[in-house]
Amino acid sequence: MKCKTLWILVLALCSTTVWGANPFEQELLKTLKQGVQQQVTGGTATSIEEETVIGRQVAGNLLGAVPLVKDAKLQKYINNVGRWVASQSERSNFEWRFGVIDSNDVNAFAAPGGYIFVTRGLYRLLQSEAELAGVLAHEVGHVIRQHHLKILQQSKLIDLGSKVVTKNVGGNDKVQNLIGSGAEIVSRSLDKDAEFEADRIAVVLATRSGYDAFGLPTVLQQIGHFAKDDGDIALLFKTHPHPDDRLGKLGSAMGERFDGVKGKTLEKRLYRVKP
Amino acid sequence: MKTIRWGFTLAVLLSGALHAAESGTALKSDDLKAEPFRDAKTVVMLAAGDKVDILNKDGGWLQVKSAKGKGWVRMLSIRKSDARKGSGNASGLLALSSGRAGTGKVVATTGIRGLNEEELKAAKFNEAELKRAESYASSKPEAAKFAASGKLVARPFDYLPAPK
Repeated sequence: MKCKTLWILVLALCSTTVWGANPFEQELLKTLKQGVQQQVTGGTATSIEEETVIGRQVAGNLLGAVPLVKDAKLQKYINNVGRWVASQSERSNFEWRFGVIDSNDVNAFAAPGGYIFVTRGLYRLLQSEAELAGVLAHEVGHVIRQHHLKILQQSKLIDLGSKVVTKNVGGNDKVQNLIGSGAEIVSRSLDKDAEFEADRIAVVLATRSGYDAFGLPTVLQQIGHFAKDDGDIALLFKTHPHPDDRLGKLGSAMGERFDGVKGKTLEKRLYRVKP
Repeated sequence: MKTIRWGFTLAVLLSGALHAAESGTALKSDDLKAEPFRDAKTVVMLAAGDKVDILNKDGGWLQVKSAKGKGWVRMLSIRKSDARKGSGNASGLLALSSGRAGTGKVVATTGIRGLNEEELKAAKFNEAELKRAESYASSKPEAAKFAASGKLVARPFDYLPAPK
């Protein structure tokens, strides 16, 4: 079964245009749905392949809206920091991908399978590598706890009854059908508790990585000052609890556990983007 | 332009002092300690709403000055006042001093602003850009090497339970 699933997915990825046949399409959707359900319900057969197929589609759409910042050194740098942080999680063997996308918005996005993007607007606020690590670790938290997969199911974006396949979107039409329109999924609000959970994971992963634990809290303190009606941060505020609430919750969870735990901030190593 | 350059020069000159200009408010009552650690002597108790000037930072601690005295308090007990972004000269100087001139309202360098749901909804899959993004991926050993060059050492630390 497992082999078959993989085989179908590979085929689907390779030959979206050749493929219109219904039985195959249905089979793909079925296996994808099962995969999502199994992952959400904690079933045994977790399939990283399926998760990656979904994540890849979301990431490709997001990049369709906002391309990468054209700075290879920056992109390599964020992948090094992100991969190191992700390596301290229980999903250290994922193929993690990180990127800085060219938007003045202040935000970060995660898609299933380990695709993580930070906007240039958020990146420019950062003052140290530890802050970057904290932000990326928050997104890693969403991925390892599969928060977006849960949304896929809850929001009934998985519409298997529909025969309507979105045309001309590129990538994989069948998977696109599964995730709704474009990269809409990344703009959906997660459960508030999912955000608080990702914050708690972030300070721990940063600490495990040898960084100062307070990178993410520092960033939260900074973005807490933005006016709510500031267009650059509107989406973040709309989809996340207010930074003050997050800091309060994080403060309670961290308590005294981080006392005496020193870490590196690496201000000097932070790769600076051109203004 | 001239003004900006002057502002920048000023910011550079004042960069040491600018940090001290940051202020904040106590989110909750907490001890103000003589040193930045738990067992240090308590100088005084800060009450929720107390105004403080932030002087320094050390890990999870902020050195602050309040009407009640000077000392160290847990960073997460303090809400910083609006000094990073918004209107007014102070934020402009701060933004310049931290290399963030041009952020936000000043200049839009990319032409892409205010990412919204509609934009994301309408997004079209971009295979070439995705492949480019994937080409920058770091392997686990590569990242470990990078970490070692920054003297980062991995260490165990348990996940945190959700607060009650």
